[in-house]
Amino acid sequence: MASGSADAPRPAGRVRAAGLWAAAFLLFALALLAGRYPNPGFLDLRLLASDDLARTILLSVRLPRVLAAALLGAVLAASGNAFQMVFSNPLVEPGFLGVSQGAAFGAALALVLGFRHDLAVSGSAFVFALAGLGASAALARRFRFGGWVLRLVLAGIAVSAFFSSALAWVKYAADPLRELPDIAYWTLGGLSGIGWKRLAVVAPIALASLAALRAAGWRLSILSLEDSASFSLGARPGRERALVLAAAVAGVASMTAVSGIVSWAGLIVPHAARLLVGADGRRSMPASIALGAAFLMACDALSRSLLPGELPLGVTTAFLGTAGFTALLLGRVVTVVR
Amino acid sequence: MLEYRQVCLRYPEGDRDAVAGFSLSVPEGSVRALLGPNGSGKSTLLLAALGWMRPRAGEVLLAGRPVSAWSPGERARKAAHLSQIERVSFTYEVLEFVLMGRAPHLAPLAEPDEGDEERARAALDALGIGDFARRHVTALSGGELQLVRLARCLVQEAPLVLLDEPTAALDPANALRVADALASLAREGRTVVFSTHDAALAAYASDSVVLIREGRLLASGPSAEILTPELLSRTFAVPFGVSGAPSPFVTGSSIRAAGGGRGSGSWPR
Repeated sequence: MASGSADAPRPAGRVRAAGLWAAAFLLFALALLAGRYPNPGFLDLRLLASDDLARTILLSVRLPRVLAAALLGAVLAASGNAFQMVFSNPLVEPGFLGVSQGAAFGAALALVLGFRHDLAVSGSAFVFALAGLGASAALARRFRFGGWVLRLVLAGIAVSAFFSSALAWVKYAADPLRELPDIAYWTLGGLSGIGWKRLAVVAPIALASLAALRAAGWRLSILSLEDSASFSLGARPGRERALVLAAAVAGVASMTAVSGIVSWAGLIVPHAARLLVGADGRRSMPASIALGAAFLMACDALSRSLLPGELPLGVTTAFLGTAGFTALLLGRVVTVVR
Repeated sequence: MLEYRQVCLRYPEGDRDAVAGFSLSVPEGSVRALLGPNGSGKSTLLLAALGWMRPRAGEVLLAGRPVSAWSPGERARKAAHLSQIERVSFTYEVLEFVLMGRAPHLAPLAEPDEGDEERARAALDALGIGDFARRHVTALSGGELQLVRLARCLVQEAPLVLLDEPTAALDPANALRVADALASLAREGRTVVFSTHDAALAAYASDSVVLIREGRLLASGPSAEILTPELLSRTFAVPFGVSGAPSPFVTGSSIRAAGGGRGSGSWPR
């Protein structure tokens, strides 16, 4: 993997961390004003005094949506950082362990079975996301091969593949005109259906997940060490990692239930955060939260503003994420880890 | 401080004991070298003292109680452990990495404060690597990383320090630095148990030596009495020369020469 310049002083990291939070708040304001009413671009604040529709759009449509985007990005990035540290592997992300594929299958199943209400689709996605995690953990316990991390990785791959296959069957059975487009849209992600009511259902779980992951910031540094090293420092690696994963997955599953599958943010935002402020969990976790929130607010604002029709959020995150990450890497002095 | 009582240890995938019927008592303030060839069970014994491996039979006592009877935090405040190698996946700064040694002294979700940071800096200074503080651990050489990991052990401030092949990756100058650090730990009253296959290091840094072969204790006692050609030859299953005769395992030929370390030998300088 790559790292920042070898002698980057900590004060620079602090300035960057403050910059990330400032960027997040600025993007929050810009995302609230961005849209296509009354014209494509930013809403003129003076309209709020005279235009009821503008006020309604701002407070009832955009505000919950921007908050949901911020929460989604924060949860995905914080969970991604936690997953990467817990597994000592910078290539894992929150959808790992069957969570994303389980959620996608759950949503598709609800749609095909005729439970088309938002809460039914979200609820089914949530249940199957947790089922994916549970199946991965149960399989890993029964495997008699390799260490804990390797077993969990293999179990996650197996469970993800199983749900991918099951999703393909559901798609095959779906009505191509009515159900298939909904399934396709859900698996590409989006926040168009979010409102205060749905946000209120998932936000407490997501916020609790974020609070737990933030509190565990430094502990994650300890857990990122090899098992015997973290054990020698007084940790219970297996139990503590399970707790962290449970907190992360609960947050991801709750937000995925309303957003669909949003890829890339959980994988690359933590990398970017570590490049900017360093690897220590005390700094990388809050930075991941701020950067994730900023990134998803920007992606969502672009998704709903660029075209008359809405772009799937997952497409925007993949496009902007890879572009931004590549630029960040190209602009840094990197050292190669032995 | 540390006692093995008829300990048998076996790895889950193993079909025989890695350590069999091993008994040893390590008093407080002593520096004990576990000397034996590769695969003789030295690392396994240290992992059992840490509580990472549980005996199949017998028991390991740490400060008078079975290791497993201590809570993880209590155990980590009593015993620090340096493994042979350690892969680090993230680009921690050296100071951040050493600071992790303070974890046993903090509540699970607490973060280290400035006092902890001062201790971490002092540990780096004690090993002569204070200028490493802002470097990234992933950019260090193997020997430099070993010193940094030793600093993390020191900052743990445990009365028992378990070191698995602490000088294996080090050049002579850095190996001497580590050997002297062991001696200074003993002067502070800490107990040190280290494994090695280097008789010269055992002679220089320890006050007594334990010879191990195939998971069994061959001999134990003051280094001057134990490090004889006969016993070393039995331990390593090769002819061993102490003064003059070349040996594949001993750098130089100075085990019996007078030295400045804790034991009876001198470190080749």
